[in-house]
Amino acid sequence: MTGTDDLAELVRRALREIADAPDAAALDAVRVRYLGRKDGEFTRRLKSLATLSATEKPAAGAAINTAKAELEAALAERDRAIRARSLESSFAGDALDLTLPGRPVRLGRMHPISRTIRDITRIFLSMGFEAVEGPEIEWDYYNFEALNIPAGHPARDKFNTLWVAQDSLVAGEVARSADGGGSTRVAPSGRDLGPMLFRTHTSPMQIRTMEQRKPPVRVVVPGRCYRFEATDATHESVFFQYEGLAIDEKLSMADLKGVLYSFARQLFGGERKVRFRPDYFPFTEPSAEIAFDCFVCDGAGVTNTGRCATCAGAGWIEAAGCGMVHPDALRRVGYDPAEHQGFAFGGGVERLAMLLTGTPDIRLFHQNDLRYLETV
Amino acid sequence: MPTMRAPLSWLKEYADARGSVDEIARQLHMSGTEIDRIERPGGGWDHVWVGRIAALEKHPNADKLQLATVEYGLGRTKTVVTGAMNISAGDVVPYAEVGARLRDGHTDDVAWTTLEPKKMRGIMSEGMVCSAKELGLGEDHEGILILDKALTVGQPLADALGDPVLVAELQPNRPDCMGIVGIARELAAVQRVALHEPKTARLGSELDSKRLTVRIEDAEGCRRFGAAYLENVTIGPAPAWLQERLVAAGMRPIHNAVDITNYVMLELGQPLHAYDADRLTGATLVARRARAGESIKTLDNVDRLLSPDTLVIADAERVLGIAGILGGEDSEIRPTTTRIALEAASFEPRGIDRTAQKLGLSQQSAASARFRLNLSPELVPLALARAVQLLVEHAGATLVGATDVYPKPRPRPNIRLHFSDVPRILGVEIPREESLDALARLGFQYAESGDTLVVTPPAIRTDIGIAEDVVEEIARIVGYDRIPVRIPDGRLPLHERHPLEELREKVRDRLVGFGLQETVSYSLIDPDWLVRLSPGGVPVAAEPLRVQNPTSVAQSAARTTLRASLFDTAARNLKHREGLGIFEIAPVYLPRAGDLPEERWTVAILLAGKAEPQTWLSKTRDWDVYDARGLILGLHKALGVSSARGERSAGAVGLHPGRSVQITVEGRPAVVYGQVDPRVAERWELPVATFVAELDLQILLDDLRPPAAVIPPRFPAALRDVAFVVEEKVPYGDVAAEVRAAAKDVLESVTLLDVYRGPQVGESKKSLALRLVLRSATGTLTDAGVERVVKRIEGRMLHKLSGVLRG
Repeated sequence: MTGTDDLAELVRRALREIADAPDAAALDAVRVRYLGRKDGEFTRRLKSLATLSATEKPAAGAAINTAKAELEAALAERDRAIRARSLESSFAGDALDLTLPGRPVRLGRMHPISRTIRDITRIFLSMGFEAVEGPEIEWDYYNFEALNIPAGHPARDKFNTLWVAQDSLVAGEVARSADGGGSTRVAPSGRDLGPMLFRTHTSPMQIRTMEQRKPPVRVVVPGRCYRFEATDATHESVFFQYEGLAIDEKLSMADLKGVLYSFARQLFGGERKVRFRPDYFPFTEPSAEIAFDCFVCDGAGVTNTGRCATCAGAGWIEAAGCGMVHPDALRRVGYDPAEHQGFAFGGGVERLAMLLTGTPDIRLFHQNDLRYLETV
Repeated sequence: MPTMRAPLSWLKEYADARGSVDEIARQLHMSGTEIDRIERPGGGWDHVWVGRIAALEKHPNADKLQLATVEYGLGRTKTVVTGAMNISAGDVVPYAEVGARLRDGHTDDVAWTTLEPKKMRGIMSEGMVCSAKELGLGEDHEGILILDKALTVGQPLADALGDPVLVAELQPNRPDCMGIVGIARELAAVQRVALHEPKTARLGSELDSKRLTVRIEDAEGCRRFGAAYLENVTIGPAPAWLQERLVAAGMRPIHNAVDITNYVMLELGQPLHAYDADRLTGATLVARRARAGESIKTLDNVDRLLSPDTLVIADAERVLGIAGILGGEDSEIRPTTTRIALEAASFEPRGIDRTAQKLGLSQQSAASARFRLNLSPELVPLALARAVQLLVEHAGATLVGATDVYPKPRPRPNIRLHFSDVPRILGVEIPREESLDALARLGFQYAESGDTLVVTPPAIRTDIGIAEDVVEEIARIVGYDRIPVRIPDGRLPLHERHPLEELREKVRDRLVGFGLQETVSYSLIDPDWLVRLSPGGVPVAAEPLRVQNPTSVAQSAARTTLRASLFDTAARNLKHREGLGIFEIAPVYLPRAGDLPEERWTVAILLAGKAEPQTWLSKTRDWDVYDARGLILGLHKALGVSSARGERSAGAVGLHPGRSVQITVEGRPAVVYGQVDPRVAERWELPVATFVAELDLQILLDDLRPPAAVIPPRFPAALRDVAFVVEEKVPYGDVAAEVRAAAKDVLESVTLLDVYRGPQVGESKKSLALRLVLRSATGTLTDAGVERVVKRIEGRMLHKLSGVLRG
């Protein structure tokens, strides 16, 4: 037998043994037998090269090294196969019951009022309105006078007011009473600011904003408001409103309708319709009440299960009061109604939050029962 | 808002209206007359019949109750118990049998309840005789509603009185719609149908002053004073149709003279008052201020002392009535009255409102409900003429004469506008002819020239003064649906940033991310809550502003801290859960001298009870103070708040003195957190494991630093775990500070791995195990270099804190 025949036979045998090795230990034994550093078949052969002549040596050496590399590759391949098989066979035993509950995650949630305010402001921001906020405790002037609702005006009936108790004012405060009285505080327009009250709407910010800015103006004002009101499923004494104001040179009722139309589509989704109905607010003229067609029954008033609960069968959801800013209000803040005009709107945040979350009773918002809050 | 009940049949007397009641209501609603509801008496009056009192006797066991035997057709009779005293045998009344749906006459509750048999003082009452209020016909619960004797007994009441009623919620600028004719005018304009104004008498000759003189002494309070003098009057019941209309509109019939004044008020909106002319001293009616000490017994049987600013109607000697609000008993019409002085006047609305409020009559008086709105003085002669017409027709009266004192006639406004104002305001062109037609149908007069339009509103309207008002009128009648939807173009304003609001929303997001539930609670609280926040009632926050007219004590103070609100929320929730983590972000209202209060935005967190539930993976645990501290540090880190400024002091009012911290910046509490004083917790029914944290959002904002990027280090870090034994009283914060001071910038971080107390470290001592991460920015630290740093730390600990490195 020549040396090369012998080598080829050795490789064949080794490859067979590698392929037959059943596990990692058997494979290791094959490795030691052939490639072991001390006593391996190939090690011995390499050592035996010393006995060959200088002309034979290079060819024989190269043949051995090639064969060795072939075996190493086969060993690595077989090793991978054995490990993969062993892992596969362990899977069944390592299986875990994945119907067991997971590690609990503490879920924080925003209050629906906060989330609704954020949705409202985000939508108006996208239409170029800037979100601004104003004081909840206000002067009579901003809440009423400047909005064309002087003391004794019958429109004050709509705004049952909570007044700040005079005797709780900090010493040094000038004496004031709910029905007027000596105030030394004056508005930029030079008017007496009157007594202090809990604002009944966000509309005072129309005046404050216009006092501070020149047209063009586009602001949206979310905030807390107060009324002397008995609470029931749809009325709260403390509640939130959003107010919008836009003043420029040519803004009209059509633009107002457009802005609220876009708002309705973004808030409720789908192809919403808007409806204007004449209304009365002393600080807008003309005035309107805006209604959106119901986003649950699409204005039909009925659903598959009967009368639509969301719009009470009306098909329309009355959502906000609005109108063109009254020229007197513009003049009061130093705007010229011949040059500038615009619109204002205001609605209840809770009303929208109730619609969006299916909350049936406005009082749930302030009760903060976590069993409710965790569902909305 | 003023409510007006308009029976459909009555409306149709003036307007040739087409369509169903629903369509009419919709058209009115969509043109600005808000129709709150349509009342269909038939729908609500099942089991209610026209009944007759067959017999009436005293209740054997109660003086104030009567037993009424009512027959209601087909031979049916029932005996019912009633407290009403205005009925007598033979009266025709509404009878409700068991199962009828009625309102409670004694409360303002508007809910309908189903009638059930009820034992009253020992006698079972099956059914009842009803007041107008119980039937939902008005607010009158003075007595049983007495019906026309001509009605068929046993007829369903709905058939007898059935006529749908449009209930309108009117705006205060439209007192003209406080009369049915006003609403009919709207309807006629919208439907383009004819309007028939009610028939009026000619008032004719000026009244002989010997019969009656009318004088206005207070021209500011009384703008116009008209009167008519009638004789040959026969007082008796008004015709049935008239009585029915009064009932349907919510008023109680009395007798023809008073019923006619009320009827005209309901028709035109103008209140009237009828006096027995023979009982006027000096044949005089004068509108003047009350004099000191004057009093009057009003028709509601109350003696009222009048303050001198009260506008009254008087004769030569005495006060006859409170102008525009309530008449007096002295001069009222009696069954024997034959001569009537009829008053129709126009009063300054605010004075009426003030007086009505002062007397507590603003809700009850139908007259003041109208006079407090700006009723047109032009209604005075109209109403007078109409009432005379009806008195002649239905009380046998003959007109002697009339008078009208109107010292300063109201100038009728001429409003100049341009046709181009219509599209300017509405955003849509309305054809000129259509605009003019709308105005004409509402009774406006106009003159046009080119683009210019000059408009005179009808005499009965007081709400039209500027171009915008006129444009609204046009829009109302052509329909607001004509206004198109347009997305505005034009200039966009330059926007400002709002750092505080931005931070507030970031904090909200972070705290939600930390797993806390946000709450929103009433900003008005019970002032007693503030006292209950510390064991001895030491104030936790400033003295609050209070509400002058609170709805309840529970909402009578503007909160100066959020803590009480969170305590209340937590206590209520902990009745049905074991633990919670909540937060609120809201302003607190801190009073300031001479100005509105400061509205200081505050973040408040509350952790109470169990922090984690028991699961198969983990044990349950309570919240602890390190949760609160961790949340604050986590929030600071997340927001990029630099190391907190301010003075740190242990203990805060209302909190556990040894387990709370207050950080004050410029005298203002910036951060307060810790365990709630167990005595306070107990008082609020909160668990001992209750923790709060409060942050001043403005100070948080001031401490905000923009992000400063750090490049990942190039050289490897060296880790060293060391332990120091220090006296128990040495706080960890001092140890960490000394480690940092000793290691300088080679120290990347120090982490506390363990705190050990026990025999190995000795009495009143503790061992703090620290992991130091050391790294140099300029090269790899050598073992020797690390050793030098550790030696430096060791030396400093020994020197400064007597801390010994544990071997």
